[in-house]
Amino acid sequence: MDVDKLPAGPHAVPPGEGRSPSTAVPVIVATNVSKTYGRTHALAGTNLTVHAGEVLGLVGHNGAGKSTLMRVLAGLEGCDEGAVTVLGREVPAGTRPREQDFRGVRMAYQETSLCPDLTVAENIWLSSRRGLPRLRWRRAAAEAVRLRLDEIFPGHGISPRDRVEDLSIAQRQMAEIARASLASPLNLLILDEPTESLGPDAAQSLYAYVRTVTARGGSVLLISHRIREVLSVADRVAVMRDGSVVEDLPAHGLGEDDVLLLMGAETAVRGATGANPPAAPRNAPRADTPVVAELRGATGAGLNGVGLRIGKGEVVGLAGLAGQGQQQVLERLWRPVRRDTVVHGTRAYVPGDRQRSGVLPLWTVAENLTISAMRTIARHGIRRPVHETAVAGDWVRRLSIRGGADAAMADLSGGNQQKVIVARAFASAADMVLLDDPFRGVDIHTKTDLYGLIRAEAAQGRSVVWYSSENAEMAHCDRVYVFRAGKVVAELVGPEISEERIIAVSFAEGDQPPPAAALASVPTEPTSTRSVAAPAAAGNSAGEHRHD
Amino acid sequence: MNTPRNLLSRPWIWGFVAALLVWAVIMAVSGQGGGQTVSLALSLAPYLVLVGLGQMLVVTAGPGNIDVSVGPVISLAGFVSVGTSSATGSVVLGILAGLAAGLVVAAVSSVAILGLSVPPIIATLASGLVASSATLVIADGFTALPDPGLRNLLNLRPLGVPLLAIVVAALTVLAVLLLRGTTYGRSLTAIGQNTRAAERAGLPVVRITALTYLASGALAGLAGSLLATYIAPTPDLGTRYLLDSIAVVVIGGTLISGGRAVPAGVWGGALFFILLDGLVNLVGWSTAAQNLLKGCLVLFVLFLAGGGSRRPGAAPVRPTRRPSTTAALPTPANTGGTTHG
Repeated sequence: MDVDKLPAGPHAVPPGEGRSPSTAVPVIVATNVSKTYGRTHALAGTNLTVHAGEVLGLVGHNGAGKSTLMRVLAGLEGCDEGAVTVLGREVPAGTRPREQDFRGVRMAYQETSLCPDLTVAENIWLSSRRGLPRLRWRRAAAEAVRLRLDEIFPGHGISPRDRVEDLSIAQRQMAEIARASLASPLNLLILDEPTESLGPDAAQSLYAYVRTVTARGGSVLLISHRIREVLSVADRVAVMRDGSVVEDLPAHGLGEDDVLLLMGAETAVRGATGANPPAAPRNAPRADTPVVAELRGATGAGLNGVGLRIGKGEVVGLAGLAGQGQQQVLERLWRPVRRDTVVHGTRAYVPGDRQRSGVLPLWTVAENLTISAMRTIARHGIRRPVHETAVAGDWVRRLSIRGGADAAMADLSGGNQQKVIVARAFASAADMVLLDDPFRGVDIHTKTDLYGLIRAEAAQGRSVVWYSSENAEMAHCDRVYVFRAGKVVAELVGPEISEERIIAVSFAEGDQPPPAAALASVPTEPTSTRSVAAPAAAGNSAGEHRHD
Repeated sequence: MNTPRNLLSRPWIWGFVAALLVWAVIMAVSGQGGGQTVSLALSLAPYLVLVGLGQMLVVTAGPGNIDVSVGPVISLAGFVSVGTSSATGSVVLGILAGLAAGLVVAAVSSVAILGLSVPPIIATLASGLVASSATLVIADGFTALPDPGLRNLLNLRPLGVPLLAIVVAALTVLAVLLLRGTTYGRSLTAIGQNTRAAERAGLPVVRITALTYLASGALAGLAGSLLATYIAPTPDLGTRYLLDSIAVVVIGGTLISGGRAVPAGVWGGALFFILLDGLVNLVGWSTAAQNLLKGCLVLFVLFLAGGGSRRPGAAPVRPTRRPSTTAALPTPANTGGTTHG
């Protein structure tokens, strides 16, 4: 019932009225918040204040801690140190946040939080059941979400009775935003990359709605990689890096380049402190290098016409923001089942998620290390333990794996486990080694060892394809492909490779409209439902942006 | 090396300890010499061990992997084998036919599991159902008799030890070698610990898993062929072997969550179960009470083994480390004592 009370559109205060941050109690204050996952310091004593009636933009590169901060602000996770104050009520560190404290804080996720098997209305019940009647909730939820969708995204083409699974990516995002906004009271709406899968028109409507929310006294926290959008919508911009908010500036008068500089400055500093060793001498890419793998206009499963070549003995980097198609390229190279991918020779894979896809927990280091090499060492399916032991001992010494070949894998630290898994790939006879962002959360000494190993192996004629979310690592590559939205947007060779360059290219807002544009501009009337949804879905499948 | 302490840390020892205890109780209750009891147990256990070895391989392939079609396969293979050998007059052809029946059923399971992503328990249940139906069709009006020559061979007990027990013991040794010394065994163990990691390490997960189900089917087929000759082909010949085969695998120390196989333990578990049957018969319990006891035993062992938990530290049973390799390798000087966790 409360949901019904939420006013929709017409009597909203015109934009601009609520713009000056009020002097009332701030909606949310994060004071000195720290959060650690294992060895990773996701948040290192960060401060952030959101006032009532303002739009705060939050920018930062991959791994700067944006998502973790959002989770803490939304009450999904407690913090290790510091405190979060919601509307003057303090939630201290170390306690599990209680739901009632965070009732007015709502978050729309980038990967939507909707249950795919349920209808839109049923999803609304899941997150807003407090405001819905116990009986006939379905109708109330449907009515509420329909009104809200009409208000935010006119012509959305979504029926509350549609199953989420059947919606297009853009429609799912719309439903997600509507879901998050249906709360009473709505004190803070957190939007995590809301426009990444929306077309320009839908983005426009969304930002108009953001103004409506602030005019009603709510606040909006906008996280986006699209700096220009942030600057045009936000009142203030907070820049995060290395787990804390380092700059908090009024958006007015700030340029895109200024913000990029604030974000990229971190990388320049990091390079200068010597945290990363100077790049190894690169192989000059020669025209006569034999090609070991090639993608020709690979499309589908998150890729959109990707073409790339990997030469023998080359270290090829896949850079860009996380989730732009780099891992799909690795998947293609690992299992080349489609015709657009040509791979010569054998491959080995180094997973980034070592616990899930790397470690064999019951075995020793030696057993873990030689499992890939075993099959080439063996003769007619019979193992040759002496040879295996020699290989294992060799690699344990070469990478100075603590504990030795006979230690139980489960007893090793994360960094040493990662060494074993990298060694597993390089100990095999594979012609090409695929690295799936394997050095996240690995300490700097281990990284230095492994960078050296990669260069040494490449010098011996092995090809390495390396996806990394850390742009600094790309300095160790001969060639780097920068990805955005499933496309290669730049190919940097040799001296062109620099963090500043990669950041600039990955954030550059392309001239071409985002993939879902076709969808949003499908002329629709928000009357009845299936007939409208059908052409929208068709428009999307004709477009390129498809996740699975 | 094999100090008593070392021996007790071996997971397979407990089945034998339990078997010894039951044997002692049987001797105390019946007041007769124990030799005959052991000889009888040894003539019944090999069939269970054969099925158990196959089940062990399947269970080792990782969480969710189980073959519940072994019971129907045994019954089906019994009829197929006896029928073929009496029709052709060749015992070898008969056994091969029984084995082939097991392979066919396992092939159906494999296609369902790997091709259609059906959960193994459902897939093998379904293929088992197919096997049961086939059995009933064949059993209708079945008159062939088992080959007396083979039956005599199965009853042969030089020095009180049944010949079949020796053969199956040799097969168990082969299973140990298979698991330790071949790429197949290694790959299977790796897949059982972490299927995703094994796939990323380049192991042929699909092929290994399919081979494992086929091996289980073949072993169940073989056991059915021999059992039908030893006793007689009946439609419910294999019924009790379903729970028993899983139980002896678990009691034998094989991890129910996969990744560690203990072939020797299957013998301990099988002897324990056979002797337990004998004891319960001796004191005159009903079949229902027997099954109740067995079910509780399996649950108890699983409880002891940490509910099949694979988290290191949570499970009281840690992977065995071979002392010989420790001695053979140059251990780096005291790197924080991580090896002695």
